[in-house]
Amino acid sequence: MTGTANPAFEARRGVAVEATGVRKTFGPIHAVDGVDLELAAGRIYGLLGPNGSGKTTLIRLLTGLAQPAGGEVHVLGTKMPSREALSRIGYMPQSEALYPELSVAENLGFFARLEGRSGRAAIDRVLELVELGDRRGSPVLELSGGMRRRLSLAITLVHEPPVLFLDEPTVGVDPALRVQFWSHFRRLAAGGTTILVASHVMDEADRCDELLFMRGGKVIGQGTGRELRARTGSENLEDAFLRLAGLDSEGRPLGDRGAVEGRPS
Amino acid sequence: MSARRILAVARRIAQGFRRDERTLGLVFVVPIVIMALLGWVLNEQKDGAVRVSIVNQAGLIGDRIVDALQTAAAEADEPMTIDTLADVDAAREAIRAGDTDLAIVIPDSLLDDLTSGTRPTLTVISEGTDPAAEAGRFQRLQALMADLAGQLAVPGAPAPIVPRIEVKTVYLSPDATTVDVLAPVFLGYFGYFFVFLLTGISFLRERIGGTLERLLATPVTRGEIVLGYTLGFGIFATLQVIILTLFVLSAVEVPAIGPIPAFTIGMGVESAGSPVLTFAIALILSLGAVSLGIFLSTFARTELQVIQFIPIVIIPQGVLGGIFWPIDQLPDVLAAIARFLPMTYAVDGLREVMLKGADLGSSAVQVDLVVLTGIALFFVVLAAGTIKREVA
Ligand SMILES: Nc1ncnc2c1ncn2[C@@H]1O[C@H](COP(=O)(O)OP(=O)(O)O)[C@@H](O)[C@H]1O
Ligand SMILES: [Mg+2]
Repeated sequence: MTGTANPAFEARRGVAVEATGVRKTFGPIHAVDGVDLELAAGRIYGLLGPNGSGKTTLIRLLTGLAQPAGGEVHVLGTKMPSREALSRIGYMPQSEALYPELSVAENLGFFARLEGRSGRAAIDRVLELVELGDRRGSPVLELSGGMRRRLSLAITLVHEPPVLFLDEPTVGVDPALRVQFWSHFRRLAAGGTTILVASHVMDEADRCDELLFMRGGKVIGQGTGRELRARTGSENLEDAFLRLAGLDSEGRPLGDRGAVEGRPS
Repeated sequence: MSARRILAVARRIAQGFRRDERTLGLVFVVPIVIMALLGWVLNEQKDGAVRVSIVNQAGLIGDRIVDALQTAAAEADEPMTIDTLADVDAAREAIRAGDTDLAIVIPDSLLDDLTSGTRPTLTVISEGTDPAAEAGRFQRLQALMADLAGQLAVPGAPAPIVPRIEVKTVYLSPDATTVDVLAPVFLGYFGYFFVFLLTGISFLRERIGGTLERLLATPVTRGEIVLGYTLGFGIFATLQVIILTLFVLSAVEVPAIGPIPAFTIGMGVESAGSPVLTFAIALILSLGAVSLGIFLSTFARTELQVIQFIPIVIIPQGVLGGIFWPIDQLPDVLAAIARFLPMTYAVDGLREVMLKGADLGSSAVQVDLVVLTGIALFFVVLAAGTIKREVA
């Protein structure tokens, strides 16, 4: 479990997350099928792709929660999976992953304590950020879906990790608060935090520094939104994605083969 | 290992309980209600009058027996009624109809037998559907007959001397009831059962709710999670066992208030040995149930499936653990299985301490404690092994 520092990797400063040829299969399903990526420190990456394209599985591989069938992942120079590296990673799962009978403050306090942060100040700071300061004592069962997403994000941020993996963080969050989330992500990135945000919708893509399009377990395109549009000659990112996936504007296969969609997530 | 993280996990479990009144009720109130009910049923079982019908085929001498029986029955501590019926068929009919419990047939050969020195035979007819109840009735009838034997001598001959039997016991008092013997054991059994059920379900929720995955994305280790659980549920098991121990051992008389009749809180079972040792045995047993619950939750996908483990895990321990039938009397195969069950050692330990007054110096108690601790540790390791980083 001990992470071995990779000297070659350490030498290339500025790269926070690196994956080389990672693969993960579930029986016959190639959930992640040979992904190479490099995430630079202090940038926000959008991981975009339809349901079942392998975003969640890729994030779980990057956090070390899943063992790759092939390939390697390094986070901040440590080979994953590694327990020490975990305190430097913030992972927001796609599922709710909260204790429904515990209050907002208790949920947050529990995970903060596991991370060695039990100070009230740290908790108040993130609660303020997600605007749940007035719901500290409410049990999670009494919160709306959007509030639960906000609490989940607060838990992810409480130990101020330099690397964030956020799996569909803004689902169910109202537009005003979404704007606030993004400005906070931007502030964190400016402070050197590396952020990977998975989403199956394109509407937040423009807020990212760089995009990774995923389909069928593979990264089919990477670059800024502008680059991806220019490269495919598309008006918008949806079209760019479809072109890269080899589909026409109606989502039908253009040429060789159609992509199979996985389970809805 | 970080004590801070273990404490954090334990604390989270306690916080979860605090808002869950139903579960708290299940843990603290239900076992007491069940114990109280059990004590009530076993203690206050009505010994209804035994109804005996006599079919006298022996004429005058038979009448003398009937008279003597009736006199003895009237004087007996335990109620018994005696009447006569015309013949065996009538007696069978009466038993079938539920009008009488036992029929005694006094044969017409009685006088001949007595004069010729042959032992006479009395036939007793019973229903034959409820062995336990009938055994009790026979016992009372026999006690009566023993008193009577003196009067059945041949006229003129000296009355035979029938010794009275007085019962003395090594451990419990002779009039110890089933409750005294079963209470110590149920003490351990309930703790085990509830702790197993609660941990199994809690941990299953942790797995399917995604919180286990979130946990594993923090620096907490698998061992810390299992120990945190053991500590968290251990606190509840401790409280539960303390309450149950107090309930079993004490008896507080509550006087009648207005329309409410006087009643007793607690079962007032006497423990020969240390209540602390009793508590320790029950607690170690319960702690083993925590990791067993975590381990088995791996094999369940829904809460219902955790409940389905009850007949597999809990019931066999109840049957084979020596609660009702001693291990030595089990068929070889089952006895061998019983030796692997923690309940076996807990039952033995609890009985040694509560009934026989054994202390830590007793080798039987030492073996029980060591084996129970060993089983608990074994499951801690096994449970930690089932918590994979990869939870899918
Ligand atoms: N634990 C699992 N067991 C079996 N198949 C899985 C599991 N997790 C993911 N998959 C499969 O892997 C593929 C990618 O899933 P996922 O990573 O969740 O995609 P996304 O997050 O992009 O919606 C899907 O076909 C999904 O059914
Ligand atoms: Mg997903």
